[in-house]
Amino acid sequence: MIKGRFDDENLKWIPVLIIVVFLFPFLLKSATFSYKYYLYILNIAGIYIILTVGLDILSGFTGLMSLGHAAFLAIGAYTSAILVDQVGLPFELSLIITPIIVGLFGFVIGFPALRIEGMYLGLTTMGFGFIVKRLIIAFREWTGGSGGLHVSKATFFGITINNDWDNYFMIYTFAILAIIIARRIVKSKLGRAFMAIRDSEQAAQASGINLAKYKMMSFFISGMFAGFAGVLFAHTSHFISTDHFDILLSILFIVMVLVGGVGSIYGAVLGTLFIVLMENMFIPLFEDGMSQFVHLEAGDFQVFIFGLIMLIFIIFQPLGLYGMWLKMRIYWKIFPFNPRKRFN
Amino acid sequence: MKRIVSIIIMTAFIWMGCENKSTSPGVSDTEILIGNIQDLSGPIKELGLLIPAGTNMYLDYINSQGGVHGRQIKMLVEDHGYNPQKAVVAAKKLIEKDQVFCLYNVIGTSPAEAIRPILEESGVPLIAPATNSSSMSDMSRQAAEYIFHTDAGYDLQTRVLIDYIIDKNPDAKIGIAYQDDDYGENALKGCAEAEGNHGITVQKESFQRGATDFVGQTMNFMKGGCTDVIIGGIVREPVTIMKTAQAIGYKAQFYGLGPTVDARVGMLAGEAGEGFIAAYWANYPNSDDSGPTLYRQLSEQNNVPEKMRGLYHYYGFATAHVLVEGLRKAGKYPTRERLMKGLETLHDWDSGVFPPITYSRNDHAGVESVILLQLQGGKQVAITDWRD
Repeated sequence: MIKGRFDDENLKWIPVLIIVVFLFPFLLKSATFSYKYYLYILNIAGIYIILTVGLDILSGFTGLMSLGHAAFLAIGAYTSAILVDQVGLPFELSLIITPIIVGLFGFVIGFPALRIEGMYLGLTTMGFGFIVKRLIIAFREWTGGSGGLHVSKATFFGITINNDWDNYFMIYTFAILAIIIARRIVKSKLGRAFMAIRDSEQAAQASGINLAKYKMMSFFISGMFAGFAGVLFAHTSHFISTDHFDILLSILFIVMVLVGGVGSIYGAVLGTLFIVLMENMFIPLFEDGMSQFVHLEAGDFQVFIFGLIMLIFIIFQPLGLYGMWLKMRIYWKIFPFNPRKRFN
Repeated sequence: MKRIVSIIIMTAFIWMGCENKSTSPGVSDTEILIGNIQDLSGPIKELGLLIPAGTNMYLDYINSQGGVHGRQIKMLVEDHGYNPQKAVVAAKKLIEKDQVFCLYNVIGTSPAEAIRPILEESGVPLIAPATNSSSMSDMSRQAAEYIFHTDAGYDLQTRVLIDYIIDKNPDAKIGIAYQDDDYGENALKGCAEAEGNHGITVQKESFQRGATDFVGQTMNFMKGGCTDVIIGGIVREPVTIMKTAQAIGYKAQFYGLGPTVDARVGMLAGEAGEGFIAAYWANYPNSDDSGPTLYRQLSEQNNVPEKMRGLYHYYGFATAHVLVEGLRKAGKYPTRERLMKGLETLHDWDSGVFPPITYSRNDHAGVESVILLQLQGGKQVAITDWRD
């Protein structure tokens, strides 16, 4: 009900957001001498935003579960590293070709989605993740095996993207583009077909929606977003290794979408920022203090907190961070005529 | 003319008397901050506890004697969970936020490889990366000038073990169980070298990091008729393979690479581990050399539990010697450049914990020889001299 009311979004604040995003590094630089570290964290968040926005199209809008998005990210990263550093393609071309290749992988994974759903699809995509990891190790001549692969810096139309400062502007330009494109997709006929499939496959089919076509399209699009994120990941972190693209990362992407609010593009953005900042900045702050009361090892504390956050959101706030924001907005819009029960 | 000459001489004396008092970040009047990145939550988290504990034991000892040039050494430890990406985040945090003077002991090959671009960008040296991989001392690689490796490579260790086996028995059929990662790849490099030297073929069986079942690999070695088996694992792998071999009645001589020298291998394997030979590249913890003697003395003083003592705790203690010596060489007003230049002046430096170490501008390899230790009655005994 809340969602329906605000479907026609107000786009006036988008230019303001863009200005804030691009002014932020300057503010950060003037505020702290360790701004490079914070920029790096934000850069990771920016790359993951591109991926989770795509994951939300698949899981939030089409209702298809994926535990293989870390593998899509890996394919994107390795493909671009090979295309640029070994084949000699320009980075700009890799930005176009790699997402298509990863999208095709998504297309292939979409096949089983025609017959299986829910947990079983999750397991299938998880299996895909394991296979990709083994394949990367097996093709060690190109991928460097489990030892990892050093990747060159991105050169964008003659400009070499040298450091975290440059990376920030490149990543967030693409992240904003990804958000706009994703918004356009979910508002189009394609997006409506995805949502129809999510709500009821039978009803969607009865309305003339080709399930096979749209499910595979959803996987293809989601794969493309992940592939794009993979390209940026490889050329901004300069080193990729199979150790990073594990099942835990796939689960973390799901948590990001879930915490942000399933089925809303802005939710995926908020959820990703929230989780990445929690993981790298806030949890370490509390870790030492908490360890006096609860005996948990370093990594366990993080898993504990993420588990807790997820439970709290699922039980008390299933619409996620974006849902909270929408509720707040409606509350103030109709204040003081708020029907009490509606906002419990 | 006299006046000009005297002015020149005076200026020269003043210039010589002036020491450059500028220091790098991480250095205050009383303290030097060091950054360490360990695995505190991943597949080798037990090492993440032991290694920094060993380092801190030695640093506390140095600090109690007044520190280095009057400064106390303080170490910050970050976690990477054996994830290279997290290692990059940790390195950025230590360098940019905590402003450490240098990095030390980053554990794991891929995490250490991942931070090469950061070392190059920031100019921060990495002392004693905690991996035996020889890629760390490959001077042709990125940021090699900032990395000072201590450990002898897995490739050298494997080659020396195969040379030893063939010396003893030219007809030996050798097998190697290797971890399917960078550790194993480096070991296989040495294996290929030895295969070429001796004209032999080694039977290779892989396993995944963190594996707990080795029945398949052990059966394959038995089927292949291997008389000598090298295990490129840490602690669980040699123990499980030797126990499995005992259970299925397979008799072979077992060998291990550096990480298997840990005392727990003997304790856990019991009878099955008797006679196990491992390659090691430092003065082993039980020896009478000055380093191990100090180690045992400090361990007693600090009441270090018996189960903590051993290879990894000792590793932290031993590599800290290189760090401290580097800081001494960096002088009263240390900068990162002076630290690197200071280490590069070490020539046949006898630390007491390692065989003599030499670093130079083109050689950051540290120890380049190994000694073979055998478990005899549950104790490690050296059975060879240093070999390379």
